[in-house]
Amino acid sequence: MNTEEQQLAEMLHRVAPEPPRRVTVEDVAFRLADQAGRSGRRHREPRARRGGWSWGWGWAPVLAAASVFVVAGASAAVVDVVTSHHAPSSSGSVINPTSPPASTHSATATQRPSSTGQPSWPPQRVANGMWGAELITHDTFNQDSLTSGNGSLYAISEDYLDRIDPATGNVVDNVRASTAVTNSPIITGNTVWLVSSYAGHSVVLDGYDGKTLARVASVTVPVSEQVSTTSSGVLTTGSGGYLYVAAGRSVVVLNPSTRHVVKQISVPAGPVGSVAVSPDGSKLYVSVGAVELLTYSLATDEQLGSSAMTDITSSAGNLVATTGGVWGTAGVGMSEWTWFAPDADLTRVVRIGTGAGGGLVSAPAVSGGTVWVGGSHTLECASPATGQVLRSVTIPTDGGVVEYFGSATVTGGRTYALYLDNRSQQAGVVTLAPPAACAG
Amino acid sequence: MIVLSRCDGLEGVDGTVEVLPVGDRPSEPDGFRDFVEARSNALLRSGWLLTGDWPSAEDLVQTALAAAWPRWDSLIRQDAPELYVRKIMVNTYLRWRRRRWNGEVATGRLPELQAYGDVFAQVDARQALIAALDRLPPRQRAVVVLRYFADQTESQTAAAMGCSVGTVKAHASKALARLRNAPGLAELMAGGVAS
Repeated sequence: MNTEEQQLAEMLHRVAPEPPRRVTVEDVAFRLADQAGRSGRRHREPRARRGGWSWGWGWAPVLAAASVFVVAGASAAVVDVVTSHHAPSSSGSVINPTSPPASTHSATATQRPSSTGQPSWPPQRVANGMWGAELITHDTFNQDSLTSGNGSLYAISEDYLDRIDPATGNVVDNVRASTAVTNSPIITGNTVWLVSSYAGHSVVLDGYDGKTLARVASVTVPVSEQVSTTSSGVLTTGSGGYLYVAAGRSVVVLNPSTRHVVKQISVPAGPVGSVAVSPDGSKLYVSVGAVELLTYSLATDEQLGSSAMTDITSSAGNLVATTGGVWGTAGVGMSEWTWFAPDADLTRVVRIGTGAGGGLVSAPAVSGGTVWVGGSHTLECASPATGQVLRSVTIPTDGGVVEYFGSATVTGGRTYALYLDNRSQQAGVVTLAPPAACAG
Repeated sequence: MIVLSRCDGLEGVDGTVEVLPVGDRPSEPDGFRDFVEARSNALLRSGWLLTGDWPSAEDLVQTALAAAWPRWDSLIRQDAPELYVRKIMVNTYLRWRRRRWNGEVATGRLPELQAYGDVFAQVDARQALIAALDRLPPRQRAVVVLRYFADQTESQTAAAMGCSVGTVKAHASKALARLRNAPGLAELMAGGVAS
């Protein structure tokens, strides 16, 4: 814990009062007996549904007739599947992953943003105009959640997937959407994918129409043993348009068009914490433990190499792959930082940027042919081939309180990023005018 | 990292429905009484931080203990009874927050706080704390209570809430950002009023 967290913990212990009375075993026994009586007469069973909960009174004649009652009233988490395929592991029938699905393609950033009206807010200069930063939305989005594709920006606010008009900054559509892990939306074709469940043996991806945000798919992913509990960056896409999902001691390759498992690559050293695919679609990179980076051939599923970062005791996450190597985050507690491993060799790892404070993150993002590394100290663009920082700008503070830039993405020739000013409580999407050297 | 994800604690205990014969009061499991006597104070304080009032806190703790009772032997074998109880508390709390239309509405807190005869400063501190916690989304509040009051590790907090460590970190950082700006809380965190 950092100092602020320790102060919070100490304050909670100090201020939380002693209870007026204790709970006794007799209280609990009475509760059980009371539940027995009530449940024997009428059983109220909540019905879970993805994206929200609906509750209602219902009779449970079967249970009542059987003279049973529910002690631990709980809901069966029934997944509301729109289009679900419980595809078994198909490692025995491997499909060449370099053959792209017919109707999918990688997210592109070539379309011009289409205006859908006037901005709700006039652009507002922020952070002393650093790299021409102008705030165009006033919505708080999750860190690392901004991405672009099909001429739109997408970001996640708590429990919602938002589609943002790049021209105006207006949120033009949103849909209630749950996300289980920190992972930016992944775009394949016209579908935006989120990881809606990620715990234990359960991994579920939900797909949303890129224009209407209607949920068009929900895919249950087979998991080998259990998923990592220190995962970050578990879903990605590659040049073939497939989805790659960290699924316990394996990586599952999904065809987003058919929702079928193409293959399941075993990672015995797992569980896998993060996945990335090389730009040419030939290699799969996975992080396991603290911290090992493994390279697999996507043609043969064989492990090609591994390297470890011995001076780091926390998990690596948020992997992205570029032509020159693999990028990711590492760090302990609230301070994460970004690294670059040339040729996926962690023994040659170099630190990129100066990280972030105050619980913020500085995960790498690849967009517009450039790697962007944000945080609360510097915003940097770097070469995807060499890892060299091309340009860096110092992020100012607001009265000593950090400001934050991250999750940069390029679409329609403009650069966007998420912004947060903790002091003024300003947050949202900013447009940036980075130096020409940042152009990939 | 800042938020977020669902992290709604619905993994694990939800979906597990314990069915017992009506009229049979289950026998008290070995060690259950010792656990209740030893831990009810801490659990109640966690419940108070989650719900903001003692009746709801008691309800929360009793609900969790009642759920733990039938599977107590198994929990003891796994050496994780408190983790389980806290998991159910968080689950129950998050469910209550969802079904606001049907949930018990907490009554005003001031009379209850006054009933303890605390000095005004203590009451003010508690009111400031609860007001600040009330401003947090339920999951962020749960993370704050588990992580910083119950002293659970990030992994334990993630396990209790059915989400990843990254998500816990995200909720924690966002909660800290909100609490940092909550009226009166900065002074409390800096070492203000003692109880």
